[in-house]
Amino acid sequence: MSDLALPAAAAPRRRRTTLPLGVALAAAWIVLMLLVALGADWLRPYGITALDLRARLLPPVGFGGSVHHLLGTDELGRDVLSRLIVSIRISLLIAFCATVIAAVLGTTLGFLAAHFRGLAEQAVLMLIDFQASMPFLILALAVLAFFGNSLTLFVCLMGLYGWERHARIARGLAIAATAQGYAAAVRQLGASPLRVYLRHVLPNIASTLIVSATLSFPEIVLLESGLSFLGLGVQPPMTSLGNMVGYGREYLTRAPWILLAPSATVVLTTLAVSMLGDWLRDRLDPTLA
Amino acid sequence: MTRFLALRFARALLSIVLVVTFAFVVLRLSGDPALTIMSPEAPPEAIAAFRKAWGLDQPIWLQYLHYFGAIVHGELGVSMRDGRSALTVVTERIPATLMITIPALMLKIALGIPAGITAALHRNTLRDRLLMAGAVAGFTVPSFVLGLLLVLVFAVRLGWLPSGGDERWSSAVLPVLTLGLGGAGILARFTRSAMLEVLGQPYIRTASAKGVPWRLVVRHHALPNAAIPTVTVVGFMIGSLIAGAVVVESVFSWPGVGRLLVVAVANRDLAVVQCILLLVSATMVMANLIVDLLYGVLDPRLRVSTAAAH
Repeated sequence: MSDLALPAAAAPRRRRTTLPLGVALAAAWIVLMLLVALGADWLRPYGITALDLRARLLPPVGFGGSVHHLLGTDELGRDVLSRLIVSIRISLLIAFCATVIAAVLGTTLGFLAAHFRGLAEQAVLMLIDFQASMPFLILALAVLAFFGNSLTLFVCLMGLYGWERHARIARGLAIAATAQGYAAAVRQLGASPLRVYLRHVLPNIASTLIVSATLSFPEIVLLESGLSFLGLGVQPPMTSLGNMVGYGREYLTRAPWILLAPSATVVLTTLAVSMLGDWLRDRLDPTLA
Repeated sequence: MTRFLALRFARALLSIVLVVTFAFVVLRLSGDPALTIMSPEAPPEAIAAFRKAWGLDQPIWLQYLHYFGAIVHGELGVSMRDGRSALTVVTERIPATLMITIPALMLKIALGIPAGITAALHRNTLRDRLLMAGAVAGFTVPSFVLGLLLVLVFAVRLGWLPSGGDERWSSAVLPVLTLGLGGAGILARFTRSAMLEVLGQPYIRTASAKGVPWRLVVRHHALPNAAIPTVTVVGFMIGSLIAGAVVVESVFSWPGVGRLLVVAVANRDLAVVQCILLLVSATMVMANLIVDLLYGVLDPRLRVSTAAAH
């Protein structure tokens, strides 16, 4: 017995967290982005619509620009840094809300399928198959064409991205969990299905769901910025990272800094979140594809 | 096998029905077509006459059936912009799109699959790390950023290639590169994990243990099995040949279906959007069906198990 117990006791010590350098950098970048998003109103030196017509298309500092506009200005003399800061807030906020919506929606449908089985399960599975087999961008564009654009609709639409993955995972795990002793035990004690799923099953499968949400977050950032780049996402006077790139594209030859700053931010943020997501997956749940 | 085929075919049909229903529901939810097409100030009699002419005064399920019937007959409405049939407007853009998406698909396969296999066979070596870093960069860099960077370098700074348009064959180079490099990253990652999954299987160990040279183990045992999940991803890529270039076509002002879609969405040209939606879902469903059929070829177990069921 003691022989068997030994490796188990030794295991936690071996798995002591040593953060790989890349993951640590990724986490640091994410923290920085979160701070920027939270403190956007204090951090931005100028308003995002404040014009300075005498300082149009000013290059960033170090490329012939002045310290008043660290990242330069655009065609209307608006400060690129200020717009970048606010864009980070809006893009992250949209992606965050959308990820939460997708996770809640997917988990709920997954639980419903696992609980009722039968016809309800078949219906959910059919929806999952359908969603998985259609390019999301096309569906999103169709909805935007039919309904026009508003920020609420746009966030809800992004919230439909990736729900099918959460639903598939939640269903599979919930079916497995309800077959286990603890779920049966609380059910025998008279707990309502809602209580069983929310208080007992959910905490047990939360780590997997969080990993899956972390993996879909960067995809939503990319989707949002892509749509905003096309002029079909976040609308002016509001600004988002994709929006800035789309606008800066007009000045690609004369003022490439307008689009380089937001492009680099999108790339680094998606890279950082995917690295963190991959690392979390490897640690928490290597079975997740 | 027949039963398997029938099931797959039924599922494909069901998907199409779902898309048509989705389009119908969204179209009806988005507002009264009579008020959208005629101005709200139009006399009530005119609106009533319009409703009657288009069957909008009938119960909703009958409207749904009519809608379905019209789509089956290929009546997909007319484009608001020039009054031509939406189907014509869309189909005349397809060749331009295929001109960049097909070479891009070949590039994805030519780069992605060998890279994934190499990375898996040399797991955790420098080569694996470098290849995977490249793959991750390939899909975390959004296509519009990659496209604009390529324009900045090859068109603006070096002046080797045109930055957009479709006048010369060289105009296609940058769009194809942009699409291909991003997709290759996805494919490489997928192939690598499929290969790793297979290489961990007992039959690989058995094959090497009985003395089969590693080269042959890889060729005869690992590759065919890893091909199955990889084919699924390639199938998805084939399905999105028609509309997989929405962003890239916009970056390079390439006159394909994707560019048309963006313009149609911005102008709310509903007939064109609906036509593209149906076309894309039809190609997607076809591609999935072909992948399912290919499974039967690639995976003999599928043939045996369905045969045994009879």
